[in-house]
Amino acid sequence: MDRMSSIILVAGLGCFAFAFVLSGVYPWAITDAKVPTATIAELAQDVPVEFKELKDAYPVSFSERYARAGEVHTARELTLQPELTPGDDAWRDNYAQALREGRDLYISEVCWHCHSQYVRPVANEAQRFGPVQLADHDNNELQRPQLWGTRRVGPDLTHEGRRRSNDWHVAHFWNPDDVSPGSVMPRYPWLFRQGWQVRRRIDPAKADRARLPADRSYPYPGLWSSKAEAEAALEDIRANLPSSLAADAERLFVAESSGPTGEALSLIAYLQWLGTWTPPHLEEDA
Amino acid sequence: MTTVDLPLQGDDGAHDGARDDAAAGDLVCVPLVKWHFAFAVTFMITSMTAGFIVSLNFLGAYPFEDIRWLSYGRLRLVHTNEIAYGFLVNAFVGALYYAIPRLTGRRVASHGLGWVIFGVWQLLVLATTVGQLLGYGQAVEWGETPTGFRPGSWELVYLPVDFLIEVGAVLLAIQFLTPIAKAMRKRMYVSLWYISAGIVWLILTYVMGNTLPEWTLAGASGAATVGLFIHDLVGLFVTPMGWGLMYFFVPIILRRPIWSHALSVIGFWALAFFYPLNGVHHFLLSSIPMSVQYGAIISTMAVEIVVTTVVVNFFATMWGRGDALRTNMPIRWFYTGMVFYFITCLQCFFHTTLAVQEIIHFTDWVPGHAHLVMLGVFAFWCIGIMTWLWPRLTGNEWYSRRLHHWQYWLTMLGLFIMFVDLLAAGVMHGAMFKALVPWMDIVESLEPYWQVRTFSGGMILAGTLLFAWNLFMTAITPKPYDYRVDIVSEAA
Repeated sequence: MDRMSSIILVAGLGCFAFAFVLSGVYPWAITDAKVPTATIAELAQDVPVEFKELKDAYPVSFSERYARAGEVHTARELTLQPELTPGDDAWRDNYAQALREGRDLYISEVCWHCHSQYVRPVANEAQRFGPVQLADHDNNELQRPQLWGTRRVGPDLTHEGRRRSNDWHVAHFWNPDDVSPGSVMPRYPWLFRQGWQVRRRIDPAKADRARLPADRSYPYPGLWSSKAEAEAALEDIRANLPSSLAADAERLFVAESSGPTGEALSLIAYLQWLGTWTPPHLEEDA
Repeated sequence: MTTVDLPLQGDDGAHDGARDDAAAGDLVCVPLVKWHFAFAVTFMITSMTAGFIVSLNFLGAYPFEDIRWLSYGRLRLVHTNEIAYGFLVNAFVGALYYAIPRLTGRRVASHGLGWVIFGVWQLLVLATTVGQLLGYGQAVEWGETPTGFRPGSWELVYLPVDFLIEVGAVLLAIQFLTPIAKAMRKRMYVSLWYISAGIVWLILTYVMGNTLPEWTLAGASGAATVGLFIHDLVGLFVTPMGWGLMYFFVPIILRRPIWSHALSVIGFWALAFFYPLNGVHHFLLSSIPMSVQYGAIISTMAVEIVVTTVVVNFFATMWGRGDALRTNMPIRWFYTGMVFYFITCLQCFFHTTLAVQEIIHFTDWVPGHAHLVMLGVFAFWCIGIMTWLWPRLTGNEWYSRRLHHWQYWLTMLGLFIMFVDLLAAGVMHGAMFKALVPWMDIVESLEPYWQVRTFSGGMILAGTLLFAWNLFMTAITPKPYDYRVDIVSEAA
């Protein structure tokens, strides 16, 4: 019992291997081993409207980020230009890229240290966060490495997807305290880029009626990297204004602003995905 | 059990002098020990500074709000990883360079190799820190050392630190197992059981935790392995090294043999059997099969019995020498650590029950517990070892005993305040959570506890800075060290 060979073989290797089989191999063998782990491509089969809306709201960051951004069109674009095709395959590819990159950023910014991703069947968690998490829901590539977490400085994110709008997430990353006062979550200014935007000042008469400041303005989608590009976009908007809005032409202007980077869009796509996937073999129950 | 020849162990006190040090002088490479200790303390300070800064985030006073690579999340990784890989490994390895040649009567494999490992290890700790600040941290708790690959893929984006650390661990095994193997015709003293098993466990644990959850096992299966890794790293590397060194240093300093070798045997084998089975208790009430969770719970409770045998053994060893707690600083650090060790393990006994787990999991209770283990137990033991060895390594008397007392009380009280504070915060958080109190109201209620945490963290950091200053001044201030006097409070 106190010779080197027994220490190394029995204690060092034997006890370790025994525990590895009992608490590593065995739980795998009776659960995840029975169903193949879903790949990211499989998870990205249904592209949710939240992801498509990111293209409408942040077209420049979107086009710069995704490999097949040029081939996809949103419902809004299809309404304006019915001759286009939606590009469903390209949507799936872009979405898969976004999920992977968003997950990578979730790891890279160490979100998983303060947010858990598993709901327990106790402490009224299901009431607060949603259904208790089953092993099957985590048997996918985005949970490799697993991101369950062991601490909740912030709330659990298992069912975060589709609970809030994309805009809420953008505002939240800019300054969490703005949307949930008292939050201790840090700001993420590096998820935003500076650029130039086309904006439209409000009609003074309407502003007066609505008791809004006369210099209130609203942005058009798109945050261009240079002023020249923004001005070109302004001309484009002006040229295509419907006659009913012709008066707006004079109130268009270009201003410096900031908006989410492509990286931030991926993170938002990932957060909007969380909890929305049901494994195929469970779909009948669901 | 037969007792084993333990160099430098006995009652007469004659061993504890210049005579023995001269005899062992060509066995131990003193500069290696010194430099490992120096880097251990350096990383201890950088880690604690990172921890202190991170705590400021909760007071709304985070100083690097707009700097991505110094952001809250990334700096938090630096705090835990530098303590584990920068401080603890350096301190343990330094102490092993001293203890193993004396336990085996042989040199380590190669002093040249020792310097290579030393240099490479510091670079790896640095590469870990830089990688984490750049966002390459791995999503495995306590194993956030960068794999170098994009998560879950084979696309290399950074230095493969994990792989190099594994190489380092194998080199350490060669370095330390060689003298042990050469002396293996003898029965081994208990220290060597812990140390040789611990080195093997480190190699296995590290491979398991840094490959399986990353590339093969997803979700629940991955979590089971990650739990195993978290626990094995602490339970099968840090704990055996710590106890192995305690079994060496405590009898030497108290000048009496360990009370019962039968208890040492029980302690070691029960640790080897039960500790690795604890892993899944990091993810209780999860979707890991309940049979596995119950297994982990029962093993965790069994570990408490192991711990009790070991702690009883050490307190019985000290029986009748209680004055050493007052007069002998290394003994005071060691036994303070042992009391804290008993508290943390007793906590585990209750934590692991599902009823307690329901309330305390996910709350500040857990970091409170972790601080008591990592700082209160293992760091305290390493500090004690350094306190005893530093005058012997440098040949200089301590620069200031008064500073040393300040260090002890600041660190110990700081830690104790932090522990109680985080425990209270955790219970409150858990209870409010269960009562469905709105999230932001919970956060608001935790604010005063976070203020106390920052304050107590400041005390710990201040104590550690005093330690570093004292070590540095001792090294550069010639003041011949009298081997017959240990560090004694009144002798200042």
